[in-house]
Amino acid sequence: MPAARQATSLHRRLLIAGGIGLAAFLGLTGVVLDAAFRDSARAAVQDRLQGQVYALLAAAELADDGTLMIPAGLPEERLSRPGSGLYAGVFGTDFKWLSDSALGVDLPWERGLDPGESRFSGPLASDAGTVFRLGQGVAWETDASGSVRFTFDVMESTAVFHEQVDRFRRTLWIWLGAAALVLLGLQYALQRWTLKPLRAVSAELEEVEAGRQEALHGRYPAELAAFRDHLNAFIQAEREHLKRYRNTLADLAHSLKTPLAVLRGGLSGGGPSSEDLPRLRGQVDRMDELVAYRLKRAAHAGGRTLGAGTRVAPVAEQVTSALEKVHAGRGLRCELALDPEAEFPGEEGDLYELLGNLADNAFKWARGRVRVTARAVPADRRHGLELAVEDDGPGMPPGKFDELVRRGARGDERKPGQGLGLAMVDDIVRAYGGKLSSETGALGGARVVVRFPGR
Amino acid sequence: MRVLVVEDDDALRGDLVRRLGEKGFAVESAADGEEGLYFGREFPFDAGVIDLGLPGLSGMSLIQRLREEEVRFPILILTARDRWQDKVEGLRAGADDYLTKPFHVEELLARLNALMRRSAGWAKPVLEAGPIQLDTSSQEVRLDGESLELTGFEYKVLEYLMLHSGEVISKSDLTEHLYQQDFERDSNVIEVFIGRLRRKLDPRGRLNPIQTLRGRGYRFALERSTG
Repeated sequence: MPAARQATSLHRRLLIAGGIGLAAFLGLTGVVLDAAFRDSARAAVQDRLQGQVYALLAAAELADDGTLMIPAGLPEERLSRPGSGLYAGVFGTDFKWLSDSALGVDLPWERGLDPGESRFSGPLASDAGTVFRLGQGVAWETDASGSVRFTFDVMESTAVFHEQVDRFRRTLWIWLGAAALVLLGLQYALQRWTLKPLRAVSAELEEVEAGRQEALHGRYPAELAAFRDHLNAFIQAEREHLKRYRNTLADLAHSLKTPLAVLRGGLSGGGPSSEDLPRLRGQVDRMDELVAYRLKRAAHAGGRTLGAGTRVAPVAEQVTSALEKVHAGRGLRCELALDPEAEFPGEEGDLYELLGNLADNAFKWARGRVRVTARAVPADRRHGLELAVEDDGPGMPPGKFDELVRRGARGDERKPGQGLGLAMVDDIVRAYGGKLSSETGALGGARVVVRFPGR
Repeated sequence: MRVLVVEDDDALRGDLVRRLGEKGFAVESAADGEEGLYFGREFPFDAGVIDLGLPGLSGMSLIQRLREEEVRFPILILTARDRWQDKVEGLRAGADDYLTKPFHVEELLARLNALMRRSAGWAKPVLEAGPIQLDTSSQEVRLDGESLELTGFEYKVLEYLMLHSGEVISKSDLTEHLYQQDFERDSNVIEVFIGRLRRKLDPRGRLNPIQTLRGRGYRFALERSTG
């Protein structure tokens, strides 16, 4: 059989999930911060260009002929240095002034803005690379010719802006990456610590499997303590099972040898004589019962410790209706008083066995009535169960019940031909920690009661 | 009585067929579920013995199929798995009784007799009608308390008529239910047996327990004294 691919380990799952979460979170943070920084850097460029415009306005003087005088030595030296990346220009009707830095460079000037109108745009493509541009419309009042309009333009290469953004980006991602590494490391350590009990369980299980340890002994956090207890109970039950199988097989082998010896003796020396036959037949019957009882006893599950119980009502209804069919014609009346809450603390097959044997006896002995009652006995965690099967037959003389129950104790001492039902039932009841007892019932016949304590 | 035996183990099936045959049953046997289903549909049986662990169509499914097809004869299940859950499932599937392997053939015969009696409406193992008593377990017949000497076949004819007392039973019904399938069927033989039975049951000719209905068959005409 090809080995099933093992599922991803818990540790790896947590790391993958944590890693993806972290990457998404930090990535998003980075993108948002980056966008915010770009916006603010752009706003800073706008402020700076506005400042240049104001400086130009302050330096400019209106001549009488309605043109502007802009002094050569402007405070911003970059305007005087060609190729500095900062350009200015003033445009009016029949007037144009360009800063020294803008001479001979083809730039996308803004002209004809209305007075008071300010327009920031960019990045724009130009001969001198991409630029930001701020245009401001201005009107000058003159004594002679009234109002004269100009547009003051200032442009700056985007190189500075890009450099700033790039620098910020580099720093940002370096820090985010470092944070991610630290967080991942932290998560890894935390996980190792949290999952340590699980690793301990699996190590202990290996020890149990190898037979070096009887059960899980480690101290575990509350979440795992219940698991450990269940597992221990399970291991214990499994061990008992195995023991029972071994004992059964040993007993069986042992007790089969006697009748086998008798048979072999009877068959040797020219075959059995006719007076030997009943004796030999008796041995065959004995072997048959040994096989039936001993093997069945080992096979019943018993002592289930995990999982829910089995509801009594449906099984009891099926068993009694089946028996009613078998005993049809005897006119028996079967009364059921079944608490729907009543639960047998074990496997369905065992409940069938238990009820089947008890009800079978009751149907066999009953004169006219059989009654099966099941009642849940309230308890904290798991309800107890009281199960009674009674009939209106002749009942059992004192001592008979114990004798019937004990009959299972040593199979090889039994006389053949006697029922084993009660011994069987007692085995099952015991396996689940219950008690079997007999009383005189209200119907006048035998009343067999099975009680399982609640928890 | 015609009985169907469905059992896959050759030794056990052979044994059953032989022992049932000895007891006067007409037996058809099948080694698997499909064959069993075919026989069950085709022949009028009085009872069936079906093993639950059959190859192919399981005993449980065979019983379900037969019951779905309104085949009504009583069925006894044989099972090697001595678990109550299996017994209950078998009975719910439509069987009427169960027997766990290994079993004594006497037990099987007693159960079969009881099933056939019950399905014919007789509750007790002794069928009583007027002065005639027929004990299905010991196969004894008494007239006014005196034991009657009947041959095996005479007994079978009387048992069948008494089980179905009040009903008209044709000669072919009798041959179908009392003879083995591959047996030469001669309805004149039936007339002979009925004649002998009448003389034994009613030596003075005032009881007339078995009526002849011309062209239709026979009827056991005495009132049942027991339920």
